[in-house]
Amino acid sequence: MIRVYRALLLAQLQVAAQYRLSMFLYLLFSIMRPVIFLAAWSAVALARGGSVNGFTPADFAAYYVILTVVQHLVTAWNQYDFELQVRMGQLSPRLVRPLDPIHYAIAENIIWKSFTFVGILPVLAVIVITYGVQFHFALWQIALFIPSLLLAASLQFLISWAIASSAFWTTRTHAVSSLFDRTSFIFAGQIAPLSLLPGVLQQVAYVLPFGYIFGVPTDILRGGHDLPTSLVLMSGQAVWVAIAFVASRIVWRFGVRAYTAVGA
Amino acid sequence: MRRYLRIVLLFARLEAQFELAYRTNFVFDLLQQVVITATSLGAVLILFSYTETMNGWTLPAMIVVVGVFYIVQGIGDLVFLPSAQQLIEQVRLGTLDFVLLKPLDAQFFVSLRRIKFTAIVEIALGVGIVAVGFAKLGTLDLLAGLLFLITLACGVVLVYVLLLVLGTLAFWFVRVENLLVVYEAFTDAARFPIDIYPFWLRFAMSSVVPVGIAVTVPAQAVSGRLDGLGVAAILAATVGAVAFGRWFWKTGLRSYTGASA
Repeated sequence: MIRVYRALLLAQLQVAAQYRLSMFLYLLFSIMRPVIFLAAWSAVALARGGSVNGFTPADFAAYYVILTVVQHLVTAWNQYDFELQVRMGQLSPRLVRPLDPIHYAIAENIIWKSFTFVGILPVLAVIVITYGVQFHFALWQIALFIPSLLLAASLQFLISWAIASSAFWTTRTHAVSSLFDRTSFIFAGQIAPLSLLPGVLQQVAYVLPFGYIFGVPTDILRGGHDLPTSLVLMSGQAVWVAIAFVASRIVWRFGVRAYTAVGA
Repeated sequence: MRRYLRIVLLFARLEAQFELAYRTNFVFDLLQQVVITATSLGAVLILFSYTETMNGWTLPAMIVVVGVFYIVQGIGDLVFLPSAQQLIEQVRLGTLDFVLLKPLDAQFFVSLRRIKFTAIVEIALGVGIVAVGFAKLGTLDLLAGLLFLITLACGVVLVYVLLLVLGTLAFWFVRVENLLVVYEAFTDAARFPIDIYPFWLRFAMSSVVPVGIAVTVPAQAVSGRLDGLGVAAILAATVGAVAFGRWFWKTGLRSYTGASA
Protein backbone atom coordinates (compact mmCIF):
# COMPACT_ATOMS: atom_id res chain seq x y z
CA MET A 1 0.00 0.00 0.00
CA ILE A 2 2.84 2.40 0.81
CA ARG A 3 4.33 1.81 -2.64
CA VAL A 4 0.96 2.39 -4.26
CA TYR A 5 0.52 5.63 -2.38
CA ARG A 6 4.00 6.84 -3.28
CA ALA A 7 3.15 6.40 -6.94
CA LEU A 8 -0.26 8.05 -6.59
CA LEU A 9 1.13 11.02 -4.70
CA LEU A 10 3.91 11.50 -7.22
CA ALA A 11 1.46 11.45 -10.12
CA GLN A 12 -0.77 13.99 -8.41
CA LEU A 13 2.21 16.21 -7.69
CA GLN A 14 2.98 16.30 -11.39
CA VAL A 15 -0.59 17.23 -12.24
CA ALA A 16 -0.60 19.94 -9.59
CA ALA A 17 2.62 21.43 -10.94
CA GLN A 18 0.89 22.01 -14.28
CA TYR A 19 -1.94 24.10 -12.92
CA ARG A 20 -0.09 26.42 -10.59
CA LEU A 21 -1.69 29.71 -11.62
CA SER A 22 -5.31 28.57 -11.69
CA MET A 23 -4.80 26.94 -8.32
CA PHE A 24 -3.73 30.18 -6.75
CA LEU A 25 -6.66 32.01 -8.30
CA TYR A 26 -9.02 29.54 -6.66
CA LEU A 27 -7.34 30.30 -3.36
CA LEU A 28 -8.91 33.75 -3.58
CA PHE A 29 -12.20 32.09 -2.68
CA SER A 30 -10.98 30.32 0.40
CA ILE A 31 -9.44 33.59 1.57
CA MET A 32 -12.26 35.98 0.70
CA ARG A 33 -15.07 34.30 2.63
CA PRO A 34 -13.44 34.45 6.07
CA VAL A 35 -12.32 38.04 5.45
CA ILE A 36 -15.89 39.08 4.64
CA PHE A 37 -17.33 37.79 7.89
CA LEU A 38 -14.32 38.86 9.91
CA ALA A 39 -14.91 42.43 8.72
CA ALA A 40 -18.62 42.20 9.49
CA TRP A 41 -18.10 40.84 13.01
CA SER A 42 -15.43 43.43 13.75
CA ALA A 43 -17.89 46.14 12.75
CA VAL A 44 -20.48 44.62 15.11
CA ALA A 45 -17.91 44.40 17.91
CA LEU A 46 -16.97 48.06 17.42
CA ALA A 47 -20.64 49.09 17.40
CA ARG A 48 -21.06 47.37 20.77
CA GLY A 49 -18.13 49.23 22.21
CA GLY A 50 -15.40 46.67 21.61
CA SER A 51 -16.64 43.11 21.92
CA VAL A 52 -19.42 40.61 21.18
CA ASN A 53 -19.84 38.08 24.01
CA GLY A 54 -16.16 38.38 24.81
CA PHE A 55 -14.95 38.40 21.21
CA THR A 56 -12.88 41.49 20.37
CA PRO A 57 -12.01 42.25 16.72
CA ALA A 58 -8.59 40.67 17.36
CA ASP A 59 -10.32 37.52 18.69
CA PHE A 60 -12.51 37.38 15.60
CA ALA A 61 -9.43 37.78 13.46
CA ALA A 62 -7.69 34.93 15.30
CA TYR A 63 -10.81 32.79 14.86
CA TYR A 64 -11.12 33.49 11.14
CA VAL A 65 -7.40 33.06 10.46
CA ILE A 66 -7.49 29.62 12.06
CA LEU A 67 -10.80 28.87 10.34
CA THR A 68 -9.26 29.67 6.96
CA VAL A 69 -6.43 27.23 7.63
CA VAL A 70 -8.86 24.56 8.85
CA GLN A 71 -11.25 25.09 5.96
CA HIS A 72 -8.43 24.89 3.49
CA LEU A 73 -7.04 21.66 4.89
CA VAL A 74 -10.42 20.04 5.50
CA THR A 75 -12.59 20.86 2.48
CA ALA A 76 -12.87 18.10 -0.10
CA TRP A 77 -14.22 18.86 -3.53
CA ASN A 78 -14.31 15.34 -5.00
CA GLN A 79 -18.06 15.29 -5.39
CA TYR A 80 -17.83 17.95 -8.13
CA ASP A 81 -15.12 16.12 -10.00
CA PHE A 82 -16.69 12.73 -9.55
CA GLU A 83 -19.98 13.76 -11.11
CA LEU A 84 -18.11 14.67 -14.26
CA GLN A 85 -16.27 11.33 -14.29
CA VAL A 86 -19.51 9.39 -14.02
CA ARG A 87 -21.32 11.52 -16.55
CA MET A 88 -18.51 11.33 -19.10
CA GLY A 89 -17.87 7.66 -18.44
CA GLN A 90 -14.28 8.41 -17.44
CA LEU A 91 -14.75 6.36 -14.33
CA SER A 92 -14.95 3.09 -16.25
CA PRO A 93 -11.20 2.58 -16.83
CA ARG A 94 -10.55 3.28 -13.15
CA LEU A 95 -13.08 0.73 -12.02
CA VAL A 96 -11.31 -2.11 -13.81
CA ARG A 97 -8.03 -1.34 -12.08
CA PRO A 98 -7.33 -3.40 -8.96
CA LEU A 99 -7.36 -0.32 -6.73
CA ASP A 100 -10.47 1.26 -5.19
CA PRO A 101 -10.95 4.71 -6.82
CA ILE A 102 -11.22 6.23 -3.35
CA HIS A 103 -7.43 6.03 -3.07
CA TYR A 104 -6.95 8.27 -6.09
CA ALA A 105 -9.18 10.83 -4.41
CA ILE A 106 -7.29 10.57 -1.12
CA ALA A 107 -3.94 11.10 -2.83
CA GLU A 108 -5.36 14.03 -4.77
CA ASN A 109 -6.62 15.65 -1.58
CA ILE A 110 -3.31 15.27 0.22
CA ILE A 111 -1.24 16.76 -2.58
CA TRP A 112 -3.49 19.66 -3.56
CA LYS A 113 -4.14 20.75 -0.02
CA SER A 114 -0.50 20.80 0.95
CA PHE A 115 0.55 22.32 -2.36
CA THR A 116 -1.86 25.26 -2.16
CA PHE A 117 -1.37 25.75 1.56
CA VAL A 118 1.71 27.85 0.90
CA GLY A 119 -0.42 30.24 -1.12
CA ILE A 120 -2.76 31.29 1.67
CA LEU A 121 0.00 32.03 4.18
CA PRO A 122 0.95 35.51 2.87
CA VAL A 123 -2.70 36.62 2.85
CA LEU A 124 -3.22 35.32 6.36
CA ALA A 125 -0.13 37.28 7.38
CA VAL A 126 -1.75 40.44 6.00
CA ILE A 127 -4.90 39.79 8.06
CA VAL A 128 -2.84 39.09 11.17
CA ILE A 129 -1.08 42.44 10.73
CA THR A 130 -4.25 44.42 9.80
CA TYR A 131 -6.16 43.28 12.88
CA GLY A 132 -3.24 42.94 15.28
CA VAL A 133 -3.91 39.27 16.06
CA GLN A 134 -2.05 37.57 18.86
CA PHE A 135 -2.10 33.83 19.26
CA HIS A 136 -1.62 32.07 22.57
CA PHE A 137 -1.62 28.34 22.12
CA ALA A 138 -1.41 26.03 25.09
CA LEU A 139 0.47 22.83 24.34
CA TRP A 140 -2.61 20.64 24.83
CA GLN A 141 -4.52 22.78 22.33
CA ILE A 142 -1.97 22.08 19.65
CA ALA A 143 -1.83 18.43 20.68
CA LEU A 144 -5.60 18.07 20.29
CA PHE A 145 -5.89 20.31 17.25
CA ILE A 146 -3.96 17.98 14.94
CA PRO A 147 -6.05 14.84 15.53
CA SER A 148 -9.19 16.98 15.51
CA LEU A 149 -8.17 18.43 12.15
CA LEU A 150 -7.57 14.95 10.76
CA LEU A 151 -10.95 13.76 12.01
CA ALA A 152 -12.63 16.78 10.43
CA ALA A 153 -10.86 16.21 7.11
CA SER A 154 -11.87 12.53 7.13
CA LEU A 155 -15.45 13.47 7.96
CA GLN A 156 -15.70 16.01 5.16
CA PHE A 157 -14.04 13.68 2.72
CA LEU A 158 -16.29 10.73 3.55
CA ILE A 159 -19.44 12.84 3.33
CA SER A 160 -18.35 14.25 -0.01
CA TRP A 161 -17.55 10.71 -1.18
CA ALA A 162 -21.02 9.51 -0.18
CA ILE A 163 -22.62 12.41 -2.06
CA ALA A 164 -20.32 11.74 -5.00
CA SER A 165 -21.30 8.07 -5.08
CA SER A 166 -24.95 9.02 -5.34
CA ALA A 167 -24.07 10.22 -8.84
CA PHE A 168 -24.27 6.55 -9.88
CA TRP A 169 -28.05 6.88 -9.71
CA THR A 170 -28.64 10.56 -10.34
CA THR A 171 -25.75 11.37 -12.69
CA ARG A 172 -25.98 15.01 -11.66
CA THR A 173 -25.13 15.66 -8.02
CA HIS A 174 -24.04 19.23 -8.39
CA ALA A 175 -27.21 20.65 -6.85
CA VAL A 176 -27.00 18.28 -3.86
CA SER A 177 -23.36 19.15 -3.27
CA SER A 178 -23.97 22.87 -3.35
CA LEU A 179 -26.96 22.45 -1.07
CA PHE A 180 -24.71 20.68 1.42
CA ASP A 181 -22.09 23.41 1.10
CA ARG A 182 -24.64 26.12 1.68
CA THR A 183 -26.04 24.40 4.77
CA SER A 184 -22.59 23.93 6.21
CA PHE A 185 -22.00 27.60 5.44
CA ILE A 186 -24.43 28.41 8.25
CA PHE A 187 -23.87 25.56 10.66
CA ALA A 188 -20.15 24.85 10.35
CA GLY A 189 -18.89 28.09 11.85
CA GLN A 190 -18.33 30.18 8.74
CA ILE A 191 -20.83 32.99 9.14
CA ALA A 192 -20.22 33.08 12.89
CA PRO A 193 -18.21 31.26 15.54
CA LEU A 194 -20.47 28.44 16.75
CA SER A 195 -20.78 29.97 20.22
CA LEU A 196 -22.36 33.09 18.70
CA LEU A 197 -25.04 31.23 16.75
CA PRO A 198 -28.52 31.76 18.21
CA GLY A 199 -29.76 28.85 20.40
CA VAL A 200 -31.50 26.49 18.00
CA LEU A 201 -28.97 26.94 15.21
CA GLN A 202 -26.17 26.12 17.65
CA GLN A 203 -27.91 22.91 18.69
CA VAL A 204 -28.38 21.90 15.08
CA ALA A 205 -24.68 22.56 14.45
CA TYR A 206 -23.65 20.14 17.21
CA VAL A 207 -26.30 17.48 16.60
CA LEU A 208 -25.70 17.22 12.86
CA PRO A 209 -22.16 16.71 11.50
CA PHE A 210 -21.75 20.33 10.38
CA GLY A 211 -20.22 21.78 13.52
CA TYR A 212 -17.60 19.04 13.66
CA ILE A 213 -16.25 19.87 10.21
CA PHE A 214 -14.80 23.37 10.68
CA GLY A 215 -16.01 24.80 13.97
CA VAL A 216 -14.71 22.21 16.43
CA PRO A 217 -11.04 22.09 15.33
CA THR A 218 -10.98 25.88 15.00
CA ASP A 219 -12.35 26.44 18.48
CA ILE A 220 -9.97 23.88 19.98
CA LEU A 221 -6.90 25.66 18.64
CA ARG A 222 -8.28 29.12 19.39
CA GLY A 223 -8.88 28.17 23.00
CA GLY A 224 -12.67 28.41 22.82
CA HIS A 225 -13.16 25.21 24.84
CA ASP A 226 -11.56 23.77 27.95
CA LEU A 227 -9.87 20.39 27.87
CA PRO A 228 -12.85 18.18 28.89
CA THR A 229 -15.22 19.90 26.44
CA SER A 230 -12.67 19.55 23.66
CA LEU A 231 -12.37 15.82 24.31
CA VAL A 232 -16.16 15.40 24.28
CA LEU A 233 -16.41 17.29 21.00
CA MET A 234 -13.64 15.18 19.51
CA SER A 235 -15.50 12.01 20.40
CA GLY A 236 -18.45 13.55 18.60
CA GLN A 237 -16.20 13.94 15.58
CA ALA A 238 -15.11 10.32 15.85
CA VAL A 239 -18.71 9.10 15.99
CA TRP A 240 -19.61 11.07 12.88
CA VAL A 241 -16.51 9.82 11.05
CA ALA A 242 -17.60 6.25 11.82
CA ILE A 243 -21.14 6.92 10.59
CA ALA A 244 -19.92 8.67 7.46
CA PHE A 245 -17.46 5.84 6.76
CA VAL A 246 -20.15 3.16 6.91
CA ALA A 247 -22.58 5.29 4.90
CA SER A 248 -20.08 6.08 2.17
CA ARG A 249 -19.08 2.40 1.86
CA ILE A 250 -22.72 1.32 1.55
CA VAL A 251 -23.58 3.98 -1.01
CA TRP A 252 -20.45 3.10 -2.98
CA ARG A 253 -21.09 -0.67 -2.88
CA PHE A 254 -24.64 -0.35 -4.19
CA GLY A 255 -23.84 2.54 -6.47
CA VAL A 256 -21.16 0.71 -8.42
CA ARG A 257 -23.70 -2.00 -9.21
CA ALA A 258 -26.12 0.60 -10.52
CA TYR A 259 -23.42 2.20 -12.65
CA THR A 260 -24.16 1.82 -16.32
CA ALA A 261 -21.10 3.65 -17.67
CA VAL A 262 -22.54 6.69 -19.36
CA GLY A 263 -20.91 7.33 -22.68
CA ALA A 264 -19.46 3.85 -22.96
CA MET B 1 -31.62 50.18 -32.52
CA ARG B 2 -34.80 48.19 -33.19
CA ARG B 3 -32.78 45.67 -35.07
CA TYR B 4 -30.50 45.15 -32.06
CA LEU B 5 -33.49 44.76 -29.78
CA ARG B 6 -34.91 42.11 -32.08
CA ILE B 7 -31.61 40.27 -32.02
CA VAL B 8 -31.48 40.28 -28.21
CA LEU B 9 -34.97 38.77 -28.17
CA LEU B 10 -33.80 36.12 -30.56
CA PHE B 11 -30.85 35.26 -28.29
CA ALA B 12 -33.28 35.00 -25.38
CA ARG B 13 -35.56 32.62 -27.26
CA LEU B 14 -32.67 30.37 -28.26
CA GLU B 15 -31.38 30.22 -24.71
CA ALA B 16 -34.83 29.52 -23.31
CA GLN B 17 -35.20 26.53 -25.60
CA PHE B 18 -31.81 25.25 -24.51
CA GLU B 19 -32.50 25.71 -20.82
CA LEU B 20 -35.90 24.04 -20.90
CA ALA B 21 -34.34 20.91 -22.30
CA TYR B 22 -32.95 20.19 -18.82
CA ARG B 23 -35.98 20.85 -16.69
CA THR B 24 -35.06 18.99 -13.50
CA ASN B 25 -31.70 20.69 -13.38
CA PHE B 26 -33.50 23.98 -13.94
CA VAL B 27 -35.75 23.40 -10.95
CA PHE B 28 -32.80 22.43 -8.77
CA ASP B 29 -30.99 25.58 -9.83
CA LEU B 30 -33.99 27.65 -8.78
CA LEU B 31 -34.22 25.90 -5.40
CA GLN B 32 -30.56 26.41 -4.83
CA GLN B 33 -30.90 30.11 -5.51
CA VAL B 34 -33.64 30.43 -2.93
CA VAL B 35 -31.50 28.63 -0.34
CA ILE B 36 -28.47 30.81 -1.11
CA THR B 37 -30.45 34.01 -0.72
CA ALA B 38 -32.08 32.79 2.49
CA THR B 39 -28.71 31.93 4.04
CA SER B 40 -27.19 35.31 3.36
CA LEU B 41 -30.27 37.06 4.71
CA GLY B 42 -29.99 34.78 7.73
CA ALA B 43 -26.36 35.78 8.17
CA VAL B 44 -27.34 39.45 8.27
CA LEU B 45 -30.05 38.75 10.84
CA ILE B 46 -27.58 36.85 13.03
CA LEU B 47 -25.14 39.76 12.88
CA PHE B 48 -27.88 42.24 13.76
CA SER B 49 -29.15 40.15 16.66
CA TYR B 50 -26.06 41.48 18.44
CA THR B 51 -26.27 45.11 17.41
CA GLU B 52 -28.50 47.93 16.21
CA THR B 53 -26.08 49.40 13.72
CA MET B 54 -22.99 48.15 11.96
CA ASN B 55 -20.54 50.89 11.05
CA GLY B 56 -23.53 53.24 10.88
CA TRP B 57 -25.69 50.88 8.79
CA THR B 58 -29.07 50.03 10.28
CA LEU B 59 -30.82 46.72 9.66
CA PRO B 60 -33.22 48.10 7.00
CA ALA B 61 -30.33 49.76 5.14
CA MET B 62 -28.40 46.50 5.40
CA ILE B 63 -31.35 44.57 3.94
CA VAL B 64 -31.29 46.98 1.01
CA VAL B 65 -27.58 46.19 0.56
CA VAL B 66 -28.33 42.46 0.42
CA GLY B 67 -31.12 43.06 -2.10
CA VAL B 68 -28.97 45.26 -4.32
CA PHE B 69 -26.22 42.66 -4.09
CA TYR B 70 -28.51 40.01 -5.56
CA ILE B 71 -29.83 42.39 -8.24
CA VAL B 72 -26.33 43.37 -9.39
CA GLN B 73 -24.91 39.87 -9.13
CA GLY B 74 -28.05 38.48 -10.76
CA ILE B 75 -27.78 40.76 -13.80
CA GLY B 76 -24.12 39.77 -14.09
CA ASP B 77 -25.05 36.08 -13.85
CA LEU B 78 -27.96 36.53 -16.26
CA VAL B 79 -26.00 37.72 -19.23
CA PHE B 80 -22.59 39.35 -18.74
CA LEU B 81 -20.83 36.47 -16.98
CA PRO B 82 -22.02 33.65 -19.27
CA SER B 83 -21.33 35.83 -22.30
CA ALA B 84 -17.80 36.57 -21.08
CA GLN B 85 -17.25 32.83 -20.56
CA GLN B 86 -18.38 32.18 -24.09
CA LEU B 87 -16.15 34.93 -25.48
CA ILE B 88 -13.09 33.42 -23.80
CA GLU B 89 -13.93 30.01 -25.18
CA GLN B 90 -14.49 31.38 -28.68
CA VAL B 91 -11.15 33.18 -28.65
CA ARG B 92 -9.40 30.00 -27.59
CA LEU B 93 -11.11 27.84 -30.20
CA GLY B 94 -10.97 30.46 -32.94
CA THR B 95 -14.72 30.36 -33.47
CA LEU B 96 -14.84 34.08 -32.81
CA ASP B 97 -14.17 34.32 -36.55
CA PHE B 98 -17.83 33.59 -37.20
CA VAL B 99 -18.91 36.32 -34.81
CA LEU B 100 -16.69 38.89 -36.48
CA LEU B 101 -18.12 38.02 -39.90
CA LYS B 102 -21.65 38.83 -38.79
CA PRO B 103 -23.03 42.19 -39.96
CA LEU B 104 -23.44 43.61 -36.47
CA ASP B 105 -21.26 45.15 -33.80
CA ALA B 106 -19.07 42.39 -32.38
CA GLN B 107 -18.92 43.92 -28.90
CA PHE B 108 -22.72 43.86 -28.80
CA PHE B 109 -22.75 40.22 -29.80
CA VAL B 110 -20.12 38.97 -27.33
CA SER B 111 -21.66 40.98 -24.47
CA LEU B 112 -25.19 39.68 -24.75
CA ARG B 113 -25.05 36.37 -26.57
CA ARG B 114 -25.52 34.04 -23.61
CA ILE B 115 -28.45 34.32 -21.23
CA LYS B 116 -28.79 32.19 -18.12
CA PHE B 117 -32.44 32.29 -17.21
CA THR B 118 -32.16 30.91 -13.69
CA ALA B 119 -30.52 34.20 -12.74
CA ILE B 120 -33.91 35.89 -13.15
CA VAL B 121 -34.90 34.30 -9.85
CA GLU B 122 -31.84 35.81 -8.26
CA ILE B 123 -32.82 39.23 -9.57
CA ALA B 124 -36.45 38.79 -8.51
CA LEU B 125 -35.40 37.77 -4.99
CA GLY B 126 -33.10 40.80 -4.92
CA VAL B 127 -35.95 43.11 -5.91
CA GLY B 128 -38.16 41.56 -3.23
CA ILE B 129 -35.51 42.01 -0.56
CA VAL B 130 -34.94 45.63 -1.60
CA ALA B 131 -38.70 46.22 -1.34
CA VAL B 132 -38.71 44.82 2.21
CA GLY B 133 -35.75 47.06 3.05
CA PHE B 134 -37.54 50.10 1.62
CA ALA B 135 -40.67 49.34 3.60
CA LYS B 136 -38.64 49.08 6.80
CA LEU B 137 -36.74 52.27 6.03
CA GLY B 138 -40.03 54.16 6.10
CA THR B 139 -40.52 57.32 4.10
CA LEU B 140 -38.57 57.37 0.92
CA ASP B 141 -38.53 60.64 -0.99
CA LEU B 142 -38.59 60.87 -4.75
CA LEU B 143 -35.05 62.18 -5.07
CA ALA B 144 -33.59 59.31 -3.06
CA GLY B 145 -35.55 56.81 -5.16
CA LEU B 146 -34.32 58.41 -8.35
CA LEU B 147 -30.72 58.46 -7.16
CA PHE B 148 -31.09 54.79 -6.21
CA LEU B 149 -32.13 53.85 -9.73
CA ILE B 150 -29.41 55.97 -11.37
CA THR B 151 -26.61 54.65 -9.18
CA LEU B 152 -27.89 51.10 -9.55
CA ALA B 153 -27.76 51.46 -13.33
CA CYS B 154 -24.22 52.83 -13.04
CA GLY B 155 -23.27 49.87 -10.86
CA VAL B 156 -24.59 47.38 -13.39
CA VAL B 157 -22.66 49.12 -16.19
CA LEU B 158 -19.48 49.03 -14.10
CA VAL B 159 -19.90 45.28 -13.60
CA TYR B 160 -20.49 44.86 -17.32
CA VAL B 161 -17.31 46.73 -18.24
CA LEU B 162 -15.31 44.72 -15.71
CA LEU B 163 -16.49 41.44 -17.24
CA LEU B 164 -15.93 42.71 -20.78
CA VAL B 165 -12.37 43.69 -19.88
CA LEU B 166 -11.70 40.34 -18.19
CA GLY B 167 -13.06 38.54 -21.25
CA THR B 168 -11.06 40.73 -23.63
CA LEU B 169 -7.85 39.73 -21.86
CA ALA B 170 -8.30 36.39 -23.64
CA PHE B 171 -6.97 38.01 -26.82
CA TRP B 172 -3.53 38.22 -25.24
CA PHE B 173 -3.47 35.44 -22.67
CA VAL B 174 -5.87 32.88 -24.23
CA ARG B 175 -6.48 30.81 -21.09
CA VAL B 176 -8.16 33.31 -18.83
CA GLU B 177 -11.36 31.51 -17.80
CA ASN B 178 -9.87 31.28 -14.34
CA LEU B 179 -9.64 35.06 -14.20
CA LEU B 180 -13.42 35.09 -13.92
CA VAL B 181 -12.88 33.47 -10.54
CA VAL B 182 -11.38 36.81 -9.49
CA TYR B 183 -14.67 38.46 -10.38
CA GLU B 184 -16.69 35.88 -8.48
CA ALA B 185 -14.51 36.03 -5.38
CA PHE B 186 -14.65 39.81 -5.15
CA THR B 187 -18.37 39.87 -5.93
CA ASP B 188 -18.86 37.61 -2.96
CA ALA B 189 -17.41 40.33 -0.75
CA ALA B 190 -19.82 42.92 -2.16
CA ARG B 191 -22.61 41.44 -0.02
CA PHE B 192 -21.63 43.84 2.77
CA PRO B 193 -21.06 47.60 2.53
CA ILE B 194 -17.46 48.13 1.52
CA ASP B 195 -16.78 50.59 4.33
CA ILE B 196 -16.51 47.72 6.83
CA TYR B 197 -13.51 46.25 5.03
CA PRO B 198 -9.83 46.90 5.67
CA PHE B 199 -8.25 49.54 3.46
CA TRP B 200 -6.67 47.23 0.84
CA LEU B 201 -9.90 45.36 0.17
CA ARG B 202 -11.98 48.54 0.10
CA PHE B 203 -9.54 50.03 -2.38
CA ALA B 204 -9.60 46.98 -4.65
CA MET B 205 -13.38 46.82 -4.62
CA SER B 206 -13.83 50.43 -5.61
CA SER B 207 -11.14 50.61 -8.29
CA VAL B 208 -9.88 47.58 -10.21
CA VAL B 209 -12.88 45.39 -9.29
CA PRO B 210 -15.66 47.97 -8.82
CA VAL B 211 -18.29 45.44 -7.67
CA GLY B 212 -18.03 46.98 -4.21
CA ILE B 213 -19.21 50.45 -5.19
CA ALA B 214 -21.75 48.93 -7.59
CA VAL B 215 -23.63 47.49 -4.60
CA THR B 216 -22.81 49.89 -1.79
CA VAL B 217 -23.52 53.22 -3.53
CA PRO B 218 -27.20 52.57 -4.44
CA ALA B 219 -27.84 51.44 -0.87
CA GLN B 220 -26.16 54.61 0.38
CA ALA B 221 -28.50 56.64 -1.84
CA VAL B 222 -31.63 55.40 -0.07
CA SER B 223 -30.23 55.51 3.44
CA GLY B 224 -29.24 59.16 3.11
CA ARG B 225 -25.51 58.53 3.14
CA LEU B 226 -24.74 59.71 -0.37
CA ASP B 227 -23.83 63.33 -1.18
CA GLY B 228 -23.68 65.13 -4.53
CA LEU B 229 -19.96 64.47 -4.80
CA GLY B 230 -20.56 60.72 -4.52
CA VAL B 231 -23.18 60.80 -7.29
CA ALA B 232 -20.89 62.83 -9.55
CA ALA B 233 -18.03 60.42 -8.85
CA ILE B 234 -19.93 57.27 -9.78
CA LEU B 235 -21.38 58.93 -12.90
CA ALA B 236 -17.93 60.04 -14.02
CA ALA B 237 -16.50 56.62 -13.23
CA THR B 238 -19.21 54.92 -15.29
CA VAL B 239 -18.72 57.14 -18.34
CA GLY B 240 -14.96 56.65 -18.08
CA ALA B 241 -15.35 52.89 -17.69
CA VAL B 242 -17.59 52.56 -20.75
CA ALA B 243 -15.12 54.51 -22.89
CA PHE B 244 -12.23 52.46 -21.54
CA GLY B 245 -14.10 49.21 -22.13
CA ARG B 246 -14.80 50.09 -25.76
CA TRP B 247 -11.18 51.12 -26.35
CA PHE B 248 -9.84 48.02 -24.61
CA TRP B 249 -12.11 45.73 -26.63
CA LYS B 250 -11.02 47.32 -29.93
CA THR B 251 -7.36 47.11 -28.99
CA GLY B 252 -7.76 43.49 -27.97
CA LEU B 253 -9.60 42.62 -31.13
CA ARG B 254 -6.71 43.95 -33.20
CA SER B 255 -4.38 41.33 -31.76
CA TYR B 256 -6.83 38.50 -32.46
CA THR B 257 -5.41 36.20 -35.06
CA GLY B 258 -8.10 33.56 -35.38
CA ALA B 259 -6.89 30.33 -33.85
CA SER B 260 -8.53 28.16 -36.47
CA ALA B 261 -6.83 29.79 -39.42
